[in-house]
Amino acid sequence: MEYISLFVKSIFVDNMIFAYFLGMCSYLAVSKNVKTASGLGLAVIFVLLVTVPVNYLLNKYVLGPDAIIEGVDLSFLSVIIFIAVIAAIVQIVEMVVERYAPSLYSALGIFLPLIAVNCAILGGALFMQQKDFANVGESAVYALGSGCGWFLAIVTLAAIREKMSYSNVPAPLKGLGITFITVGLMGIAFMAFMGISL
Amino acid sequence: MNTNSNLYTVIYTSVVVVIVAGVLAFVSQSLKDRQEANEKAETISQMLTAGGFGTKSDFQAMGNAKVLETYASEISEAFTVNTEGQKVGDLDLASCQVFSPKQLKAQNYNIRDGKAFAIPVFVFKNGITVVPVYGAGLWGPVWGYIAFNNDGVSIHGAYFDHESETAGLGARIKDDPSFQAEFTDELADFSSANVFDIVKGGAPKDENGKSVIDNQIDAISGATMTSRGLDAAIDTWLGAYSAYFLSTKGQGNDSNAEKED
Amino acid sequence: MDKKMKETILNPIFKGNPITVLVLGICSSLAVTVTMKGALVMALSVMVVTGISSLILSCLRKTIPGRVRIIVQLVVVAMMVILVDQILKSFEVTFPIDKQLSVYISLIITNCIVMGRIEAFALANKPIPSLLDGLANGAGYGMILLIVAFFRELLGSGTLFGIDILNRFGYVANNLVILPPFALILLGCIVWVQRSIQKDLQEK
Repeated sequence: MEYISLFVKSIFVDNMIFAYFLGMCSYLAVSKNVKTASGLGLAVIFVLLVTVPVNYLLNKYVLGPDAIIEGVDLSFLSVIIFIAVIAAIVQIVEMVVERYAPSLYSALGIFLPLIAVNCAILGGALFMQQKDFANVGESAVYALGSGCGWFLAIVTLAAIREKMSYSNVPAPLKGLGITFITVGLMGIAFMAFMGISL
Repeated sequence: MNTNSNLYTVIYTSVVVVIVAGVLAFVSQSLKDRQEANEKAETISQMLTAGGFGTKSDFQAMGNAKVLETYASEISEAFTVNTEGQKVGDLDLASCQVFSPKQLKAQNYNIRDGKAFAIPVFVFKNGITVVPVYGAGLWGPVWGYIAFNNDGVSIHGAYFDHESETAGLGARIKDDPSFQAEFTDELADFSSANVFDIVKGGAPKDENGKSVIDNQIDAISGATMTSRGLDAAIDTWLGAYSAYFLSTKGQGNDSNAEKED
Repeated sequence: MDKKMKETILNPIFKGNPITVLVLGICSSLAVTVTMKGALVMALSVMVVTGISSLILSCLRKTIPGRVRIIVQLVVVAMMVILVDQILKSFEVTFPIDKQLSVYISLIITNCIVMGRIEAFALANKPIPSLLDGLANGAGYGMILLIVAFFRELLGSGTLFGIDILNRFGYVANNLVILPPFALILLGCIVWVQRSIQKDLQEK
């Protein structure tokens, strides 16, 4: 039950985009149509699901206070380790997917390198550290939920933007401006989930 | 030089990584003391604020050294207690040893999982006892300090802090002195599971705007989740301290009689 | 040369602003615009990180092996970010602000402005112009951050830099302004204003 509530909470309440603005750059750049948006969304879910548990284990068994040697706290290195792990895993995932699942690769391939510098991924690792989960399972559920939240956010925005290209927006607001405002309004709608008790 | 050869790439990367790790290790080692001093002074100033020795902004302006000095001159005893409320260890007064939020977090797990714990009690010279509380808010941890008068049931003051609550809403547990002031003169009910309640939608009040029920105060409007988290934190921690307070002060829940005094 | 320098410095602040024109670096930034103080510290941190990592990487640009280019960049940027974070934690004045910014300081690493400017400018230019370019882009970013923070703190809490401005006139702080989505709406309005003035930036 706790896993389910954590999952729902990380999709709707702690939504990466609407609550934390994480992964905004690629979110705005790749949300022009639903197909590419869902490709990137899936890639984010996938990478988060792999990197967060790995970083969780590293954080707990290597970086924490007294983890390797008594009295040594390596936590100042955590950010640099996280980003290195993310870059390495993205690279490995890319190679594995290319070798064993060429069809998936053609769908996700171009997005994978983009993801190494996506704030949502590093953000996932940092929030995992801050939230201090009890075990790997929880961190994996959190990663899956956050990824799904990101996916949901980018696909809905892409759908809205597809429709919006037919509407008559004031010239200076066209494109970027109206997109910001749309995301803001979607965020307000998502705020409603904050009240649910889980 | 061929910058694309394998050997060059490997050596180059190793050198960069070693230099970076060296610089970071050096900086983090040399700044560690200052950072820990900052954190300690912050914790102490929060306890002193709860105990009514000054306001948070006074302590902020005072600087770390003066904060520690004030603490050293006011504190009379600091020790840790266990589940049965017995003293299990001493905190060093000379070095102003306190519990950092990280240590509170570790104890919070022990309390939650029903394991043995050792939680700190700070007794000041004027009879005020300060104890910490710790729990989860909406976004991250919330914690704080509650100061009890000499009788061990009436609250003298409180101060709360948080890691990442919504500014202007949940963050008001820290920023809004009027919320913290609500705690003053309330009575904790150590003999029940609901030691203290933060009630949404208004606790019943008298004509002075003071809540009538002794162990209830108003939640912050618009910050339901944070208030709920803080309420749970207070119940859990004061619950853990109840054995200590009941045994040392020998007072039950006859709180109305207490108020007449 | 002088004119080019001036161009390097002024372009990122107005015409090529990293946030409103290049759409870089929105990721980690908007959550820190609730108060002016937080925004100012964040802006300065980003300026320092972009400036100095551009400088370092520009000095190294001829020696970096092609295949590990991104990794070397990430390592240098991460080092700068950790240094800034450690230094902020060490001073009594900045300690509470660092606490308030929490993970967002670390997230400067993935702020697209930093990596973007290194890729686009520092790796192709001499150290001094790279430093200036980095600082100027940080400043352009900081300017937007401060504008957003100005409105959010003034309307959301009735204060500026923690000093009471509107509350004394009986202003009731607006909770909506404090919530994260409002930062995006405000940003949309800033883009609107900028593109009404500079018509060549309008899309389609």
